[in-house]
Amino acid sequence: MEKIEIARGFTPQLTGKPDLTMIQVPLPQRVGVSAGDIPFIRPKLLVREGDSVQTGTPVFTDKRDRSINYVSPATGRVEKIVFGKRRRLKEVVIATETIDDFVPFEPVSRDALIDMPKADLVDHLKKAGLWQGLRQFPAGDTADPESTPAMIIVSMNGNDIFSPHPVNVLKGNGEDFHTGLALLHRFSHRIIVTLRESCLKAIQQLDSGIAEQITHVTEDTYPAWNPGAVLYQIKQNQAENASWHISLHHLVMLGQFLSTGKYPTHKVVTATQTGTHRPHMKVRQGTPLKKIAGHVAPDSLVTTGQFNGRCLEPDSHIGFFENTINILDDADGEEMFGFVRPGLDKPTVSSSFLSSVFKRPQIMDGTLHGELRACINCSYCERICPVDLMPNFIMKALHADEVEEALGLGMMDCCQCGLCSYTCPSKIELAKILSNGMESHHKDKA
Amino acid sequence: MKNPIKKIFDDTKPLFTGDGKYHKYEPVWDATKTFFFLPSPKTTVMPFVRDCLDLKRYMSIVILALLPVTIFGMFNTGYQSGIATGQEYSVLDCFLVGAWYMLPMIIVSYGVGFLWEFLFAIVRRHKISEGFLVTGLLFPLTLPPTIPLWQVALGISFGVVIGKEIFGGTGRNILNPALTARAFVFFSYPVSMSGDIWIAGKDFVDGITGATALAVTGYEGQAIGAALSDSGYSLSRLFLGLVPGSVGETSALCCLIGALILSVTRIANYRIILGGIIGLIVTSALVYMIPGGQETWANAGPLYHLCAGGFLFGITFMATDPVSAPGTNPGRWIYGFLCGFLTVTIRVANPAFMEGAMLAILFMNVFAALLDHAVMKYKMSKRIPNV
Repeated sequence: MEKIEIARGFTPQLTGKPDLTMIQVPLPQRVGVSAGDIPFIRPKLLVREGDSVQTGTPVFTDKRDRSINYVSPATGRVEKIVFGKRRRLKEVVIATETIDDFVPFEPVSRDALIDMPKADLVDHLKKAGLWQGLRQFPAGDTADPESTPAMIIVSMNGNDIFSPHPVNVLKGNGEDFHTGLALLHRFSHRIIVTLRESCLKAIQQLDSGIAEQITHVTEDTYPAWNPGAVLYQIKQNQAENASWHISLHHLVMLGQFLSTGKYPTHKVVTATQTGTHRPHMKVRQGTPLKKIAGHVAPDSLVTTGQFNGRCLEPDSHIGFFENTINILDDADGEEMFGFVRPGLDKPTVSSSFLSSVFKRPQIMDGTLHGELRACINCSYCERICPVDLMPNFIMKALHADEVEEALGLGMMDCCQCGLCSYTCPSKIELAKILSNGMESHHKDKA
Repeated sequence: MKNPIKKIFDDTKPLFTGDGKYHKYEPVWDATKTFFFLPSPKTTVMPFVRDCLDLKRYMSIVILALLPVTIFGMFNTGYQSGIATGQEYSVLDCFLVGAWYMLPMIIVSYGVGFLWEFLFAIVRRHKISEGFLVTGLLFPLTLPPTIPLWQVALGISFGVVIGKEIFGGTGRNILNPALTARAFVFFSYPVSMSGDIWIAGKDFVDGITGATALAVTGYEGQAIGAALSDSGYSLSRLFLGLVPGSVGETSALCCLIGALILSVTRIANYRIILGGIIGLIVTSALVYMIPGGQETWANAGPLYHLCAGGFLFGITFMATDPVSAPGTNPGRWIYGFLCGFLTVTIRVANPAFMEGAMLAILFMNVFAALLDHAVMKYKMSKRIPNV
């Protein structure tokens, strides 16, 4: 087990840590298959309003690769198809029935897995709507089954600081985890399993040989466990840039699906809010936000990762790639003489508030704390970037359309942790600018 | 209960925004409003949480770091005036006399400078950046107390317009605006800046040479150290700052306090300050070891070079301006070191420009981008390519 340390990154003193207990949330009346959280997808609908669907019926596909299915996590009837701006598909809402009627698949035992032709295996997983759990660096698009990745990184921890604890995901699923790993070994010789240091003890107490599979322990500084940050720390050569990664949730789901032949319908999620300790929740995939977050004040911001998730609307549903709901309470907005206050509870990475001396729990809110200004070259973004980028210079290169320069500065290594935007005193949307740059470069190459 | 000040802004909002009667002046209204109430709009894209440090706070910390030199400068202006006019001033008197000279300079600098800022903001329809808060105070601190106020106005106009606004405003300027302003006054009105009449109120008395420490040279065969002591520039006085000079720059101690505040809060990059001091010490020590010229500043040694003149003020407050300094850490070390090196070189090799720090920093401002470029090229070559 190796230890990964990042020289940069950031450990905020946050409150709202979820409790380790777990509750089961009953099947909601409606579930949604969200398209909003899927990177790069150009959705093509496969159902119409009023159609009945089984658990595992494809609901939409990706126009770029129609063999990839996004499936219904419950049995019922398509109630509503929600479109966003420019008629872009947002989600498909399904009214659920209490009894699940699964689309049947042939179970694959762990021994059969080893002998099964790779193409059949890929086909099997694509049909089941699980292949897209595997993502490919650098842009994070769906993994290309034609390629052979130098390594596959399994991230035990999610994108947010308070994403579900891996123990709660693995409890009772130890065998599925091992099956999932066996599957990954079919695609790459090198499987990296990473875990946050603070979770190691709890995993070692789980008695199913999971701890032996962990190859790297990362320090607890955000975002050391981000798969992109891990790849940056361990990669040796250019070929490894196109490695794959997968979250623990999806790995376990793959294992469950292979052994049962049924679409795995549940996932573990957390909801965080300042001052609360909510339990972990086992919910149906696509559960409405309201069932997870409970009552949310109308002005609050609800996100699926305070640093790098997306913003959820009140009536939306949790997506395939999301495990955390952050409720950011509305702040007072305009503080009188805010810039000269001592700031005992103001979260900051700088040392310009007293909060940096007295380590009190800090209250995060969903506001900018300032206004957009020109870049003053202070390099706070460089100081915090976990993959040693200079986001300010990449931003300037992108503004000047110097894509080559931006690439040379390592733009594609960006792990989308969002810390550069977080820290920028000029409130420049660096992470967004970089991710737009990565996206357009990725699309150009495709 | 509603905050009465907030009410004023809420009431006047329709006049200044949208199609309001005075919508042209929205930037001025907005700047005033945001001074009272820190704006904090909701985030719309990831990350949804943001750090509390913004440019207002950033610049406020610089102002805080400038307070020791400003307050001491006020005292020292009065104190020097008292000595020159042969009057016994109490500490309070020193402050009052100093304020009498300094406050008009600061008010003119801020007033005229903000006028230009407002004008550009109104014409270009952008928000007023906080950068000028610092420039407006830095500039008068680099001037002698005897400077005519119209020169202050002209200088800050040049600094703001030519030094900054024609490039696009704060964040886009090549040179430090405050130093640009000072260089303009320095070269345009050499008589005011020559260092001979730098003591406020000196007109009343003849016979006291008011030359600043850097203008002192020994007579034939006399060591520079002795010459300085004879003229009242002992090392301890230079360190404390009880000597004539530009109002803000005399006290090495207060500059070091400012440097400490800036470094601890990480507002200024300590690499520049430290690099500069190292550069100055190394260069002055090397020059010291060259035989001959013992009556000139070449022979003054590191401590005198450090404490005399405006070097510490410049390296602490001018060179650390992030906009005109390099944005990479190795670049910052080199930049700082060369600022120190050039300061000594100019002082020693070209006594016509006694104050080497200003020219050294302006010169290095121009090279900042080149240093960044070199560092970036090096860093790019070290990365595993990912295209």
